Amino acid sequence: MSLLRFSASVSRRLLWKSAAGESVSTGCSRAASGAVSDKEPLKKAKTPQGRFDLPEEKSKDVLEKFPDDVNPVTKEKGGPRGPEPTRYGDWERKGRCVDF
Amino acid sequence: MPSICVPAAAVHGSRNFHFSIYGKKKNAQVSNDISTQYPVVDHEFDAVVVGAGGAGLRAAFGLSEAGFNTACITKLFPTRSHTVAAQGGINAALGNMEEDDWRWHFYDTVKGSDWLGDQDAIHYMTEQAPAAVVELENFGMPFSRTEDGKIYQRAFGGQSLKYGKGGQAHRCCCVADRTGHSLLHTLYGRSLRYDTSYFVEYFALDLLMENGECKGVIALCMEDGSIHRFRAQNTVIATGGYGRTFFSCTSAHTSTGDGNAMVTRAGLPCQDLEFVQFHPTGIYGAGCLITEGCRGEGGILINSEGERFMERYAPNAKDLASRDVVSRSMTIEIREGRGVGPDKDHVYLQLHHLPPQQLATRLPGISETAMIFAGVDVTKEPIPVLPTVHYNMGGVPTNYKGQVITYTDGADKVVPGLYACGEAACASVHGANRLGANSLLDLVVFGRACALTIAEEHKPGEKLSPLKPTAGEESVANLDKLRFANGSLRTSEVRLNMQKTMQAHAAVFRTGSVLKEGCDKMDAIYQTMDDLKTFDRGIVWNTDLVETLELQNLMLNAVQTIHSAEQRKESRGAHAREDFKDRVDEFDYSKPLQGQEKKPFDQHWRKHTMSYVDPKTGKVTLEYRPVIDHSLDEQDCARVPPAIRSY
Repeated sequence: MSLLRFSASVSRRLLWKSAAGESVSTGCSRAASGAVSDKEPLKKAKTPQGRFDLPEEKSKDVLEKFPDDVNPVTKEKGGPRGPEPTRYGDWERKGRCVDF
Repeated sequence: MPSICVPAAAVHGSRNFHFSIYGKKKNAQVSNDISTQYPVVDHEFDAVVVGAGGAGLRAAFGLSEAGFNTACITKLFPTRSHTVAAQGGINAALGNMEEDDWRWHFYDTVKGSDWLGDQDAIHYMTEQAPAAVVELENFGMPFSRTEDGKIYQRAFGGQSLKYGKGGQAHRCCCVADRTGHSLLHTLYGRSLRYDTSYFVEYFALDLLMENGECKGVIALCMEDGSIHRFRAQNTVIATGGYGRTFFSCTSAHTSTGDGNAMVTRAGLPCQDLEFVQFHPTGIYGAGCLITEGCRGEGGILINSEGERFMERYAPNAKDLASRDVVSRSMTIEIREGRGVGPDKDHVYLQLHHLPPQQLATRLPGISETAMIFAGVDVTKEPIPVLPTVHYNMGGVPTNYKGQVITYTDGADKVVPGLYACGEAACASVHGANRLGANSLLDLVVFGRACALTIAEEHKPGEKLSPLKPTAGEESVANLDKLRFANGSLRTSEVRLNMQKTMQAHAAVFRTGSVLKEGCDKMDAIYQTMDDLKTFDRGIVWNTDLVETLELQNLMLNAVQTIHSAEQRKESRGAHAREDFKDRVDEFDYSKPLQGQEKKPFDQHWRKHTMSYVDPKTGKVTLEYRPVIDHSLDEQDCARVPPAIRSY
């Protein structure tokens, strides 16, 4: 058990050293290209550049939500969206009939 | 801490292996009693629930709440059970929209069941309905509300006021358009509050029966291939329906009637399996149902010759005829060879003759549905449809308390240690035909009833009755046989044969000759089960093996369904026969009862079918059990005497 702990601590120290080395080099590169990086916003390193920075296109759902989620005709709050599902005698949603 | 088991694949081939169990299940023991090839783990619990849908979850946490050490075995993650697809609502006589009384709901349900439902169970369910819905609401289920904040109730088919004389009743409570989904998530979330042990992705193989008593369940862990025996004083079956016996059904691929099959293999009967609900227009292949509103808005059904065939079957109503007339007409067209498609086994629903604007305003979303499920552009091509199964009224027979019963020597006898609830059970509240919105109610009421009955009769921590150390041997032997099956027919081929036969012979159109032919074909297909070939010889996540086990279960359900249908020579509820179009009761209820002689029990059909199967030969034996006509309290809620059912 103690051997394991020793080797773990050794490897951690090595990691720290390598991380420190890296940060020094990136710091240098940023300083060098200082003028360019001031104009562009910093892109997140992990995501493909800029993809998630654009506003997402909202997919249009055929059944619109009621304002405040209250059905204006029946005054039902939190009910199903779109026309009344039971209007044809079964429970209809998007052309599909649901059995329950 | 999750349990980490040594994978059995690593020890394949060696006789003496070591199998350790880590984690929470401290009292699980490895045993060598029934198999030296498969690692078998023994567990002991106070109660075991098989299935984690609406009914299973309600029973499981009801038991945990009462202090029982409960295990819930499920082959799917709880929130993936088929309950999640029930988008509609739950019926309850809360009286929020107008004055309502549960006795009127009782009357509606008895009438809907075509007087085949047991009135004591229906009394129990409709009386408990308001309390059950309020309980769900207290658990956090977000029902839709009226302006005053009470639960909003809408009108749905078959519900009336004042015993049918007061007009339409508004009883259906819903959660937007995802009631089943919300119910399942609410129940699952609530169940985590209690200390139920979940065994997810464990396939229950068989019941452990000894001397007619149920002492537990044996299951296969799909993740690592180990066998687990769960010993418990009380077992609850809540495994759902068996829609997958038919070619076209709305149910998930996992609705394979495992509970019914386990009960059959234990030598116990199943009840009323011939009552299967069909919907006329289900999309071919996908199984999703197309609303009747399509026909209401002007859609027409056409056959291979482009003919609007409904004009011949219902000259006045045409495509707007009642569901059973439409289903039967479609089936007759297909049988007579005028079906469409390469197999000529379905018809078309045409909507492209309607203006697209009208379709978009009246039926928003239908073009999306048709494109996703049928791959057709609804403004240019017709949708392929055929009659589709969506519910099984039959199942494991129980009394109103949820205890499984058999019928011997003229009386109901309780099977000790075994309970059933949900679609798998037949209490029987739905009788010959289920009303919409009663199914979700059935789940929660009887799930709770099973938990309450067990809590009444037993105490947590009771000593388990002794069990033979070799219990479950046959299940393991069967598993091994299927794992190394080397015949000539694949599982998928046999399954397709069974599904096509059931769809052609035991579907909507039932006549003596068609059913008889179907029975013979099904018996032959049952025999081909000995000739199966499986390909995956492994033990870890062997889906070929699990599908074959499911096929065995489906076959048992299918043979019982078709034989029961063939024997029942009348038309009642969902079971409609061309050669016997009327209901055959003990009296002729269309005429005044005075002066009529009561028919003896064996000459009328107002009785439950109890079917047994010999699993080795596939031979079906049928017996009959009388319907319970009295309610739980005649003073409080009088029984409803049979009458002609007309709406």
